[in-house]
Amino acid sequence: MNPGLKLILMIILVLEISFIENLSLNVIIIIICLIYLLKKRPSSKQLVGLFLGPLIPAVGIFLSQMFYGNGGSLLAGVFATRIYAYVFLGACFTFSTNMTDLMKALEQSFHVPAKFVYGILSAFNLLPKVIQQIKVIRTASLMRGVKINFWSPKIYFKAILSALQWSQNLAEAMESHGFVEDQPRSQYHPIRLTQRDWSQFFAILVVFQGLVLILNSKFL
Amino acid sequence: MNNNRDHWSLRNIILITLIAIFCGVIFWGTGFLYTGLTLILTPFGLAPLANDILMGVWCMAGPLAGMVIKVPGSAFLGEFLGSAVEVFLGGQWGASAFISGLVQGIGSELGFTLTGYKHYNWLGITASVITTTIVTFGWDMIRNGYNHYDLGLLSLLFITRLVSTFIFSGIITVLVSKLLTRSSREE
Repeated sequence: MNPGLKLILMIILVLEISFIENLSLNVIIIIICLIYLLKKRPSSKQLVGLFLGPLIPAVGIFLSQMFYGNGGSLLAGVFATRIYAYVFLGACFTFSTNMTDLMKALEQSFHVPAKFVYGILSAFNLLPKVIQQIKVIRTASLMRGVKINFWSPKIYFKAILSALQWSQNLAEAMESHGFVEDQPRSQYHPIRLTQRDWSQFFAILVVFQGLVLILNSKFL
Repeated sequence: MNNNRDHWSLRNIILITLIAIFCGVIFWGTGFLYTGLTLILTPFGLAPLANDILMGVWCMAGPLAGMVIKVPGSAFLGEFLGSAVEVFLGGQWGASAFISGLVQGIGSELGFTLTGYKHYNWLGITASVITTTIVTFGWDMIRNGYNHYDLGLLSLLFITRLVSTFIFSGIITVLVSKLLTRSSREE
């Protein structure tokens, strides 16, 4: 499916399950997502992460709802499984989409201006440099005997100084390579939004609404 | 500060994104803190409090971007992209971090909107702190079932979140922007 459309679908589903307090719904979503994810052949490390990552928050919210909530264990179960449903829905997106394709889809099919698409993409390419720079900032202040923490304004100040300089350099570099803001661009790697994408999108939504209707009328 | 900071230029978009990435990476290092806090609070049934304690830290990218690049929408974009860093780095929440980013972004931005994008000072920041707290708390009422708690616990969670947001998204953001103003004057 077109990555942009897939993201919109995921957001709709996540928002919708946030408003429906139904244990079976969450469990069914988790199972369907798991089947989809297994088809994508994730590594065992990814799978373990999927199950263990949300475990602590899920147990935490379960006990909290048991102790202080007014809905008992059933509702506690709803909120615990909801966390898993979020993570699994999110993983269905991340495991099957690469971010460059997502940004290109947003540009080509959803009319996000090119300066946003390429500006954001180019900045995200500096991610490893950003990680390195934060180490440099921390080490530099350690050399002067100052431990800099996430609550120190200085770390953000120095980070923004780097960001100011880098953004200028990057923008100039892009412009010198022929990037012109607000000008139409041709596509080397077109990403299509096909009729098939749209029919899949609506089919999933319709099936999901049916599921919600059935579950709400029979159980819970 | 700089004259060039008042429109959506390529450079400003890159700048907002970089600020978001820097914040995202700094918060990435605090992931252990969230897990630790949740673990400690779980036996008391207070695990959600960990969210509220750290909320201010997670919501810093928005007001920081809003203060540096004074364009309507910059706080939203900064906060939203800050959450995207987690998706890129492969965080435990996966793409569902986009949703939190949307909610937090709307919260951060609203404060500047309500003050008419004219008050890039304590007034704007305080408004942003309040809207961030209310919007994200409203979301947790639904998402994490806060609406099933009694008033006592709700107040504890709300006040904790307000204080956290005020310290990180408020005080620290203002301190950082003061440092920036001073440095640009000394240039």
